Amino acid sequence: MTIISAPAGSGKSSLLRAWADRAGGGRRLAVVQVRRGQQDAQDFWLAVLGAVRQATGAGEAEPPAATPDFHERAVADRVLAELAGADDEITLVIDDLHELGAAGGASELTRLLTSLPPRAHVVLATRHDPQLRLHQLRLAGELAELRAADLRFTEGETRELLEAAGIELSAAGAELLHQRTEGWAAGLRLATLSLAGHPDPERFVARFSGSDRTVAEYLLAEMLDRQPDEVQQLLLRTCLLDRVNGELADLLTGRPGSERILLELEDANAFVVSVDAERTWFRYHHLFADLLRLELRHRLPEEVPELHRRAAAWFTEHGQVVEAVRHTQAAGDWAGAARLLADHAFSLMLDGQAQTMQGLLQAFPPGADHPELALVRAIVDLMAGRLEPAGAHLAVAQAYAETEPPERQRRLRVAIAALNLSLARRRGHLAGVLDQVQFLASPVRGESDEDIALGSDLRAVALLNLGTVEAWTLGRPEAERHLCEGAALARQIGRPYLEVSCLAQRGFASKIHSFATTAHRCREAIALAARHGWDAEPVAAPALVTLAGVLTWTGQFDEAAGWLQRAATALQADSGPDIRLLLDITAGIFQAGRGRHFDALGEFTRAEQRGAQLEGWHALASQSAGFLLATQARLGMTAEARAQLAGLDAGRASSGEVRDALAVILLAEGDAGGALAALGEVLDGTAPVIGYVTLVEAHLLAGLAHRELGHQQAAEQAAERALELAEADRLILPFGMTGARELLEAIPPHRTAHAGLLADILSVLRGSPPAGGPAGPPLAELSPGELRVLRFLPTNLSRPEIASELSVSVNTVSTHVRSIYAKLQVGDRSAAVDRARELQLLAGRL
Amino acid sequence: MEPVPALYTIRVGGVLGETVLLAFPQLAAQQSGADTVLTGRLDRSALYGVLGQVEALGLDLLEVRQARPGPLRDGGPGLA
Repeated sequence: MTIISAPAGSGKSSLLRAWADRAGGGRRLAVVQVRRGQQDAQDFWLAVLGAVRQATGAGEAEPPAATPDFHERAVADRVLAELAGADDEITLVIDDLHELGAAGGASELTRLLTSLPPRAHVVLATRHDPQLRLHQLRLAGELAELRAADLRFTEGETRELLEAAGIELSAAGAELLHQRTEGWAAGLRLATLSLAGHPDPERFVARFSGSDRTVAEYLLAEMLDRQPDEVQQLLLRTCLLDRVNGELADLLTGRPGSERILLELEDANAFVVSVDAERTWFRYHHLFADLLRLELRHRLPEEVPELHRRAAAWFTEHGQVVEAVRHTQAAGDWAGAARLLADHAFSLMLDGQAQTMQGLLQAFPPGADHPELALVRAIVDLMAGRLEPAGAHLAVAQAYAETEPPERQRRLRVAIAALNLSLARRRGHLAGVLDQVQFLASPVRGESDEDIALGSDLRAVALLNLGTVEAWTLGRPEAERHLCEGAALARQIGRPYLEVSCLAQRGFASKIHSFATTAHRCREAIALAARHGWDAEPVAAPALVTLAGVLTWTGQFDEAAGWLQRAATALQADSGPDIRLLLDITAGIFQAGRGRHFDALGEFTRAEQRGAQLEGWHALASQSAGFLLATQARLGMTAEARAQLAGLDAGRASSGEVRDALAVILLAEGDAGGALAALGEVLDGTAPVIGYVTLVEAHLLAGLAHRELGHQQAAEQAAERALELAEADRLILPFGMTGARELLEAIPPHRTAHAGLLADILSVLRGSPPAGGPAGPPLAELSPGELRVLRFLPTNLSRPEIASELSVSVNTVSTHVRSIYAKLQVGDRSAAVDRARELQLLAGRL
Repeated sequence: MEPVPALYTIRVGGVLGETVLLAFPQLAAQQSGADTVLTGRLDRSALYGVLGQVEALGLDLLEVRQARPGPLRDGGPGLA
């Protein structure tokens, strides 16, 4: 890693360019220029990711786009992955790192730098030492540093520079110039621009060195004065822009021909560089632009606001709203900026720019209240899952819209309607959403193109929310159709972010089909999100969580763990109770499926708390309650489970899921007959169920109850019925969660029509720690070696005989036995056997 | 941290002309030999803003001092 740390105008960027031109030969370059006054870490990281992808040839077609719910660490991880995946040596160059300043990014950048893959290099250029913990790299000898003194021109180099520019200056003159500028690159560059074609270079240098003005100020004024008027006007009037093209410059100077001047300035190496390959957009060196801006304020102070206004108008016209808002703010036209931002806030939201809006909001002076901004605040809060403040801001926005003239009111109303819908959906307020989407029945109408576009946006948002809420609250089949329509419309009107939103929700909604279909839909949605760089963001979360859930239900725990982790990461930027509820339930069944009932209890408890924050009834309410009760019962907390059960409303209490949980409680209390009675309404189809998984569970619980009662044949039949139902999706989780392993092991393979599934289930159940019994878990999980020894303890084999059975030494067996006693907290072999039976640790094959 | 603005003097190398002084509207400038001393009441974030400007314009930062308010010399009221 290399760091170039030196003051403004030291020649850092020039050095990087010269080096980049000379590099090559199997070395790939990813160059990131940090934007002036970079406000948010999101733009920075997306720029880094985009540059790295372009360098590796991975992402030329689809540059990563902004999202309202950006997550820095996830993007940094993707950058690392791209770097690691590069075929060749790759060098990431970050210029003007100091501009990142308050935007943060330092901790993730430090992590990136300290975990670089072997063939990746980084070059940083900055005006001051960054707040990155670089000492480790320094100590490891992996950091090369270039500082101001290294970049300074020597006297000899000063002479070479003058010669190369065709300037004839005496040795004494060159020495004077070098002394006065102290070898500072920008000073020498400005001087050579003034000296080129100067009638009397010696006098220029003498006057310069006799002045006690600061080098930059003196030389910039001199240089500017020596330019033709049209160049002076162009430099002064366009320096306010972060980047400029010919058309925009013509507009600001009020005369044509700007593009030619910009090209000439770049060719003369006069602090102007093009930023695109076609050389249509240019930017000024930062130091140069800063000096020019002061010069502008000095020479033409009254024109500054007007220049900003004209630039804003151009950007508005060209659909670059964010730039337009920035310039309107800079013109001091706060009311205008607020109005402009509010007018486009809805569109920016649909394109995933909530974070940028947050930055623009912060630029407004505190105290001055612009009612238009309430709408923007509502969006920013809503996208982060902060539903209460979002609702409050939305109410203000609504009141404000009423006071506006009809045309504007119509536009604001569309945005407000869409936000109200999204808010109602995220609050779980079904009736609210259904009320608000009635307009979907009528086709999009409008007098202008804008009206029609707005109508389509609103329609797509409505379909997203309607479909989502239908899936969440009702489990209705229309949900999928509405989400598909929403996705198609979003694609048609060029709103990819909205399309991904619809498809990710569709993943969840498709649970009414087979698990295989659901998994397929989720993977499709995630793949589309990934193409836009959104696969680790809240927008993808519904698909990520649903996929983790499907994999958990089908016993593919290892893969499920990975998706669950990704979903949790994606949701760090979204605290909304709706999607978090789904994450908690999925994490809960994942833990329960692996026999970690204490962890599952935590997840299900959290899920119940989140559910309480939602306004309406949600489709997962009975499932979430049922899981919590059953887990409490499995952990021996039957009193708590009973208390919880008593607190449930009638609707939930009579659901199949909660009936199943009641059976678990009764079994834990030793009342197998009661458990069978509780399951009656589930098995005969009277109790409403969320899906057939509840029936599978009910049959298994009935099997366990029959077994307790000594009805071996009924138990076997119940298990067979569960297997039959589970066959189509190859469902595995309920067999583990209910602790049905012994029940299944008692079935002779030749007596079941589902021997294949049975074998699969048993192999999954044996591969992971089995469900803990009511007595609570052992102090620590037994190791595989200990488990092997444990299973011989009920036999009458002696330790040497066990050792010979297992082909290990007697010492090893003794060590394992001591360890087993300690972990099970028992004192002898028979107590260990009893305890192991309680914990269902003995069921495995020998 | 200083919650209230304090008086700072910032010394930079060279004489700052009218143009560059536009970057420091909140400070008074005084020439001091070959240097310029900028003085003004700044809170912490304003101070760092000024230092950022000094850096951005490639100026030579020589010294930053906070003029600590001394004890009241004129004798406040109520002193017996």
